[in-house]
Amino acid sequence: MTEDYFLEVDYYQGFKHNQMVGGDVFLSHKIKEENRIISVLSDGLGSGIKASVLATLTSTMASTFVSNYIGVKETAEIIMRTLPVCRQRKISYSTFSIVDIDSEGNTRIIEYDNPGFILIRNGMPVKIEKSPVKIDRKQYRDTILKYASFKAQKGDRIILCSDGVSQSGMGTPSYPLGWGEKEVEKYVLNIISENSGISARDLAKRIVNKAMQNDSYKCKDDTTCGVIFYRKPRRLLVVTGPPIDKERDSVLANMVESFEGNKIICGGTTANIVSRELKRSVTVNIRDLHPDIPPTSDMKGIDLVTEGIITLGKVAELLENSLVTDTKISTGADKIVNMMLNNDIIHFVVGTKINEVHQDPNMPVELEIRRNVVKKIMKLLEDKHLKETKLQFI
Amino acid sequence: MDTRITVRICTGTACYVMGGANLLTLEDYIPEQLHEIVSIEGSPCLEYCKSKEKGAPPFAIVNGVIIDSATVGLVLDEIKKQAHID
Repeated sequence: MTEDYFLEVDYYQGFKHNQMVGGDVFLSHKIKEENRIISVLSDGLGSGIKASVLATLTSTMASTFVSNYIGVKETAEIIMRTLPVCRQRKISYSTFSIVDIDSEGNTRIIEYDNPGFILIRNGMPVKIEKSPVKIDRKQYRDTILKYASFKAQKGDRIILCSDGVSQSGMGTPSYPLGWGEKEVEKYVLNIISENSGISARDLAKRIVNKAMQNDSYKCKDDTTCGVIFYRKPRRLLVVTGPPIDKERDSVLANMVESFEGNKIICGGTTANIVSRELKRSVTVNIRDLHPDIPPTSDMKGIDLVTEGIITLGKVAELLENSLVTDTKISTGADKIVNMMLNNDIIHFVVGTKINEVHQDPNMPVELEIRRNVVKKIMKLLEDKHLKETKLQFI
Repeated sequence: MDTRITVRICTGTACYVMGGANLLTLEDYIPEQLHEIVSIEGSPCLEYCKSKEKGAPPFAIVNGVIIDSATVGLVLDEIKKQAHID
C-alpha cells in the first residue's frame, strides 16, 4: 500500500429476529502483493442456515474469481450454475455486490440485485454511471448485472447495504414502504457531516443500528452494511519488551516520543524504561481490577500502558475469536484491540531481552515468548482485519 | 501515629500470575484505624523478579521493606509491624 493512502474496510450486521445465523455475508480479501482489496456483500435467499450457505458460497467464489481477474460475466455464470436449488422455491438465488479496489483508487463494482452502492465524496453523494451486463439463464428470466468502474479519490467512502437496511421499517407508520435507498443515503450524509472522520466500522454500525431501530430491534431480514473508506492512514505504535542492551533504552524512548499517531506500551519493565528515559511518572490504576488481566497504567503522552505477555496473549485471543467487530472496552486487552481496529498501520517495536523468570517451569504455560505472540497478533491483524503491520526488533 | 506507610504492589507479569492479582485487593483488608496513614499504589514492575536473591514473586514493598512471595496476610503483618500495632 502506498505510504499516503489506505483502504479501511469494515462492516456490521444484525440478523433477522430469532435467527442465530445470518443469510448475509460480507467478506473481504486483501491481496498484499497487488495492493488490492476485494470485498463482497452477498444476501442469500431466505434466512438462517440455508441462506447462509448460499451467501457464503457466493461471496467466497466471487472474491476468488475476481481476485484472479476472471471476467465479471463468467464469474456470475459460474456462481449461478453452482448454487444449490431451493426445494420449495425451485430457484437458486443469492444477490451480490463485488468491489475491487486498489491503493491507487482504481475501482470496479459489480452488482446483482442488492441496493446500489453509495459513493460519498467531499460530503456529497456521487452518481456513477453503470452499464448493464446481461447473463442468459436457460430456465429463468434473464439476469442483468450492473457494472461500474471509476477512480476513487482520497477521502471517498463506498457504502454497501443489504436490502435488510433499505427495507427496514416496512409496514411501520414512519416508513410504510421501508426506509428506502434515498433515506439511507440522507442518513449517511448526515452522519458524515457531523463527523467527517468517522471510521468505516463506526459508520457501518450506525447505519445498521438505525435500520434495526426502524424495526424496533426485531429485524425482519438480515441487515448488513459494509463500508470502504479510502483515506490517510492512522498509525499505532505498540512497544513491548526491553531492548537487548541497556544502551538502546534511549533509542526506544525516542521512538516512542517522536512517533506520530497513537501509542501503546505493553510491559511493566518497558513502561519503567520509557518512564525513566522521558522522566515521566507511571501510575497504575489499581482499582482497574480484573481476574485475568493485570491493570492498565497512565503515562503522559502515551495513550495506553498495560502489562506485557498476559495482556498480549488475550489480545491475540480476542482478535482471533471476535466475529463481529464489536468489543466492549473494559480490560487493557480490550482497549488494545479497540485501538488496533481503529488504526490502519500498526508498528510493533519488540525488545528482545528475555525475562528469565518467565521461563521458570512453575509459571503458567500461557506465558509465551513475546516474539511469537506478536507474530500471531500481526498475522491476525493482516489476514482477518486487513491491517498493515510493521515489525522492528530492538 | 504520624508515620505514613506506602505500599507498592508489583503488577508485572510474573507477580501477577504468581498471585499478585489478589494483592490488589489489599485495600479491603486494611484495618479501619490505619486508613489514614496507609496508601497503596501499583508499580508496572518492581524489577525484583530479575534477581534471584530478592526471592520469588509476587513482590510488594512496604516503606522500603521488600516482601517476596507476598500475600495479603504477609503485607498486612508488615504494615501492622511498622505501625506498631498487633
